[in-house]
Amino acid sequence: MLDYKFLVDTFFVALSGAPIAILITIVSLLIAIPLGFLLALARLNKVPFLNRLTQVYISFIRGTPMIVLIFIIYNSAPLILVSIFAKLNIKTNIYDVNPIWYAFIVFSLNTIAILSEVFRSALITVNKGQLEAAQSVGLTNTQAYITIIIPQALVVALPNICTATTNLIKATSLGYAMSLQEINLRAKVAANVGYNYIEAYIDIFLVYLILCMAVEYGFKYYEKRLRTYKFANT
Amino acid sequence: MEKYFNAVYILETIPKLLPYLKVTFMVTGLSVLFGTLLGFILAVAKIRDGKVAKKIAYGYTTALRCTPSIVLLFLIYYGIPAISKGFGISLDNVDKVIFIVIAFSLQFAAAMSEVIRTSYESVDKGQFEAAVSVGLSNIQAYITIVLPQAIVVALPNIGNSLLSLIKEGALAYTIGFIDIMGKASLIIAGNYNTHALEIYIALSMIYWVISIAIEQSFLALEKVLSKGTQIVKV
Repeated sequence: MLDYKFLVDTFFVALSGAPIAILITIVSLLIAIPLGFLLALARLNKVPFLNRLTQVYISFIRGTPMIVLIFIIYNSAPLILVSIFAKLNIKTNIYDVNPIWYAFIVFSLNTIAILSEVFRSALITVNKGQLEAAQSVGLTNTQAYITIIIPQALVVALPNICTATTNLIKATSLGYAMSLQEINLRAKVAANVGYNYIEAYIDIFLVYLILCMAVEYGFKYYEKRLRTYKFANT
Repeated sequence: MEKYFNAVYILETIPKLLPYLKVTFMVTGLSVLFGTLLGFILAVAKIRDGKVAKKIAYGYTTALRCTPSIVLLFLIYYGIPAISKGFGISLDNVDKVIFIVIAFSLQFAAAMSEVIRTSYESVDKGQFEAAVSVGLSNIQAYITIVLPQAIVVALPNIGNSLLSLIKEGALAYTIGFIDIMGKASLIIAGNYNTHALEIYIALSMIYWVISIAIEQSFLALEKVLSKGTQIVKV
């Protein structure tokens, strides 16, 4: 029933899309981790305007399907970019912009919202006395956060960061909507020739399975190391 | 660009989309029903001692957690008819909604099995033993003692799973299913792809309101149900 040659060939086609999925994941995380942390701090310290704004932002992102978010950005970003390009006299055709830039925007916006909630709940679990104790021995706020608070919060946050990362990898499968050459699209295009959709989707499934399990395994390993480090210090 | 933004379209589109909300809710409701049933079975397999069943249940959860919804949807949509054809049964006339409900039930079951397992494990074993020791039967002890306590722990996670189920449900449009997302893409196609942005914003507003409503009702429910446990704690 299955075309095994196609199954094997397309597996590598799908796999060739993996670097893009990984690149988007890493860039989005690099953007989202610092910004998400800042937003978490803004909410915890109840910074007047920013706190409210962050709340609305998170609620909107959490409430909107990823695909709708992608379509909104994909349809609005070019409009905004055109006016920016016109102002800065950049003569790039808007249709020549690589869709990966839109992907960076969409997935970063999404991950910022999710990670800020993860960081917020993790920071809450760290006892307030920890910060006060750190201050009382003469550390500055920044020093206290870096050496005392964040390492403890990280242990709590890590499983949730892992979930966020796997969700992010999975969400890149929607990049096809931005005609991004990722795993899903590449395999689907290969399948279009002979209608071998089942084989193609089995391959896509396998590639995501490998990627996500690798991420989960990596996080588990890191979590273990972090935990022993924590116990050694207490 | 020939496109321009006109907010009137947002307001005009919302009433056109709302009637299709019941399709979205129907798919969600059925997926929750079947997903919870299967999730319960999986959770029992994880909790009990059977080694093989445990392995299968955990393997299932990992695989489903690592599969993007869109990939699962297509695997089911193309895969099940192909398999049944192998047995000489033609499923060509089966409504798409069946495949969609199957796909999302399978996914929801994976999430629910973890929710049920963790909430069950959060209830102290002594509670069950104490209940049995005062003469309750096993079933009575589970229903009157363990379940009410477990459900309080489970509620936020059930809310989150439900929310992501509704959001992921938007992807059913990719196989031509007409729920609110499908209707939105039909409207856009009917407009010759103009004003897509406004229509997607209208769509995101509807999803946003639904998600806020779900979040708030789960918070309210949590407050009502956790009343008992708080008194016990004090």
